Amino acid sequence: MGNDDHALIRAVLAGHKDAYGVLVARHGESIFRVAFRITESESDAEEIVQETFLRGYRGLAEFDARADFRTWIYRIAVNCALQVLNKRRSEAVVPIGEEFDDSRPGVQLADAGAGPDRLLLDREIEYRRHAAMEKMTQDERLAFVLRHLEGRSTEEIAVALAVTPNNAKQAVFRAVQKMRRSLAPLWVKS
Amino acid sequence: MNHLSDEQLIEHYFGEDTHRVVAETHLRVCSRCERAYEEISSTLEVQPPEPPAREPRYGEQVWQSIQGQLMPYPAKPQRSRFSMPRLVLACFCLLGLVAAFLGGTLWERSRTRPTEARNSQRAKERVVLFILDDHLERSERLLVELHHADAEKEDPDQSLQTEARQLLPDNRLYRQALATREDPIMNAALDHLERVLLEVANSPDKLNSADVARIEREMNTDSLLFQIRVLRARASRQQPIVESSRKGASI
Repeated sequence: MGNDDHALIRAVLAGHKDAYGVLVARHGESIFRVAFRITESESDAEEIVQETFLRGYRGLAEFDARADFRTWIYRIAVNCALQVLNKRRSEAVVPIGEEFDDSRPGVQLADAGAGPDRLLLDREIEYRRHAAMEKMTQDERLAFVLRHLEGRSTEEIAVALAVTPNNAKQAVFRAVQKMRRSLAPLWVKS
Repeated sequence: MNHLSDEQLIEHYFGEDTHRVVAETHLRVCSRCERAYEEISSTLEVQPPEPPAREPRYGEQVWQSIQGQLMPYPAKPQRSRFSMPRLVLACFCLLGLVAAFLGGTLWERSRTRPTEARNSQRAKERVVLFILDDHLERSERLLVELHHADAEKEDPDQSLQTEARQLLPDNRLYRQALATREDPIMNAALDHLERVLLEVANSPDKLNSADVARIEREMNTDSLLFQIRVLRARASRQQPIVESSRKGASI
């Protein structure tokens, strides 16, 4: 059995299920990272990783041998993340407010050495950043994460979102503008 | 001064702008665009929390958690490349190809043969008419010279006999070749011409005017000359007909 992804896929399709375990071990962590960046939730990201590899296994027979497995499984992960976001929005667990809400659960910036003013500003920045992410449409959010945090090219984003490169670029642009509007008051304040 | 749009500034931040040097130069001299670019940069420098670190064997743990839900893909049976059904199919295909080839060849042959035969026959006729016309023309000239010699009571030129000797074997060949054709006028004319040529060619070395007169009288060369002119006229009429029918057949 060869070590490259395509050889492993051939082995899986020939009945060697364990070969898929090598693929999961190889790509599991990168899928977790992207899932976390999209959902900003560790538990959601864990769930997405499992769902992604389950779907990947079931769809492996349709995998185009000319394609890159990493890109293919990445796209499945993005779709799974989209579904999680949809579900979360429909349930509306976390209310979105324009003003700073001290009681809002969220990821806080930890800086033990900073003073109280700085800590307060960091919390406000994080809150506004998170609020801006929630205001983005799904495409905008995915495009923003893939471009800004994952460093993907416009073409890769277009493939992942199944849109044209121009639409992918526009989605990134709109996402940045939303983030900019949300954070702008803080730059004036600082 | 044309300021950079927000879209251009964002593209510049991500390094996707097509005119990077132009944008950089503009940002150095335009404070308004520089401020906008700084704001965008500040916005994008705000990083979300980093994903929590995973254990080194994270992927294996994921696999352990999902592998129970997965059924192995059925192993594909190794089929021989030359299994019986494939062999039978291949034989049928081969037979079909051979039958199609033979059928096509026979059909093509049956279709083209009559045309080829007709074309061949016409081509032969054209060649015969062309060559024969040349022979008849030379014969006509010879008979005309004989006629002039007789009319002017002069001894004919030596070349007349030489020409007759040259025409004689040719005429014999034409007569024999055209004997099978249903063309009594042509056959009769060539037969008549051969006897005249034979007489001229076999005369004493120097043919005189008396000899010419005798030959003209005995052999009735005036009648032969008329026949030959008729045949030449007929040949010149047939040639265009054959030519046009050939063109029609080729379309």
